[in-house]
Amino acid sequence: MAYNSLRDFLRRLEEEGQLLRIKEEVSLEPDVRTIACAATKSATGPAILFEKLRGYPDKQIAMNVHGSWANHALSLEMPKHTPVKAQFFEILRRWDRYPLKPKRITNAPVKQVILKDDFSLFKELPLFRVNPMDGGFYLSKACVAARDPEDPSNQNVGMYRMQVKDHKRLGIQISAQHDLAIFLRKAEEINQPLRVAVSISNDPSVPFVAVSPLKYNEDEYSMMGAIRGEALETVASEHGDLDVPAHAEIVIEGAITPRKRFIEGPFAEYPGSYSTSMMQVEIEVDTITRRRDTLIFENLYTGEPWTEIDYLQGLNTCATIYKQMKADFAEVEAVNAMYTHGYCTIISAKMRFGGFAKTLGCRLLSTPHGVTYPKIIIIVDEDVDPFDLNQVIWAMTVRFRPERDLVIIPNAPASTLDPAHLVRGLGTKIIIDAARPAYPDIPLSDAASVVIPTGVPFWIEEIQKRMAKP
Amino acid sequence: MICPRCDDATAFQFFESPEKGAWELYRCPRCFFVWRSTEEEEVIRPDLYDPDFKLNDERIRQMSDKPPIPPLRRQK
Repeated sequence: MAYNSLRDFLRRLEEEGQLLRIKEEVSLEPDVRTIACAATKSATGPAILFEKLRGYPDKQIAMNVHGSWANHALSLEMPKHTPVKAQFFEILRRWDRYPLKPKRITNAPVKQVILKDDFSLFKELPLFRVNPMDGGFYLSKACVAARDPEDPSNQNVGMYRMQVKDHKRLGIQISAQHDLAIFLRKAEEINQPLRVAVSISNDPSVPFVAVSPLKYNEDEYSMMGAIRGEALETVASEHGDLDVPAHAEIVIEGAITPRKRFIEGPFAEYPGSYSTSMMQVEIEVDTITRRRDTLIFENLYTGEPWTEIDYLQGLNTCATIYKQMKADFAEVEAVNAMYTHGYCTIISAKMRFGGFAKTLGCRLLSTPHGVTYPKIIIIVDEDVDPFDLNQVIWAMTVRFRPERDLVIIPNAPASTLDPAHLVRGLGTKIIIDAARPAYPDIPLSDAASVVIPTGVPFWIEEIQKRMAKP
Repeated sequence: MICPRCDDATAFQFFESPEKGAWELYRCPRCFFVWRSTEEEEVIRPDLYDPDFKLNDERIRQMSDKPPIPPLRRQK
């Protein structure tokens, strides 16, 4: 049975020993960030529920909800010790259930309270500064729904950072490569506001799919259904006929003001560094709908990797790229795009012929995610597990010939958040062909790899079993 | 009140904690910086704010639009 809400999932995490309740009173700064950061660095990576916040008697904060492989496995209703690669293949299996369309209901918990005039985002949410030099208090795990102004049947849900600037005003970062930027451009070309609905504190499939780089016309809500195995229940927004998750804790509705930009940022992002401040769009908020109970505000700590964001946008990014590449090249075996949101992406595949690794590297760069994020692309043979960095480095050390196998692509589109580039949004990519040369390329002089004895898998299990006995 | 980030002198209190007396929030109308009275001194004191993160007119002028504003579509 799929989780219906964040509350359902927190209950499961607690049953599995993956939730820590902080019962004593905490300050919003610096206690919440300090404890959330510590959770990401601890061995088991539990979610944290802050029960008593100084200044907010009726609010709680949940952090690090997806922030370990154990939590990630549990979010997929798998045993908490499921290996990463097994989680990857399970996600691929569920991907094939797409589309499982959402079910729109009318009586939703998120509509228990509807506020249209007299409200303040600072009263409704226990907002806090995630990192000390952030330019404000941010929503860092909120999911934004919007519709294509020219084709309203195309609805998008994505996760965007939002800076709460005033009682009813949000800054939002929309990067050019994101689907929402296409909607915004269309709205701005005709000088129309773009309606958005921002859902916070959702069942774990919602943020999981919201950060997945699906294709422009693919429906995130239908993919959430596929991942959960049951249709996601949605409800109509008060304005703009958007779908919002029915079991969210709170939904903020408003419209992006067209053709205006305002100071936004900086914000500490997933590369472990602060973004710059830029002129970005704003949302004028006009409606809030929420549950009546004590609100649980789910937010996300970002800092030096690994933190929750690396888990949250790890395997779904791998799965999306895998599916998009596999559709063209059956040789692709697995994709690991987990490092800094795919800045380093490793692809394992059978080599069809000499130079084929370069073909695969270029295909990666033409996927929606690959256009900007990948900077270091490593191609390995099908016998190398891209999730096992020992094997990947081994392949690079013994199969990669820098004079023949290194491709450098200068001045290519890049992530604006990468602190290494001289020009934000423009960078150099490298493809490292760490696969064995295939015909007609010149074979390695010592090409015969040592074969692992056939009985080894049996004996690995046998050794574990015998060692486990007292 | 002086904005710790851009030193604008017209920053003002705009919210106080729902549980009275815990803290107040301030905001700057020029750079939209928001801060809580109980935050670390390096965040709320103008003289201690990291110079790399300070904003002034020149820095604000140099900020680029993200995403850029497209031309208006011509009416047919």
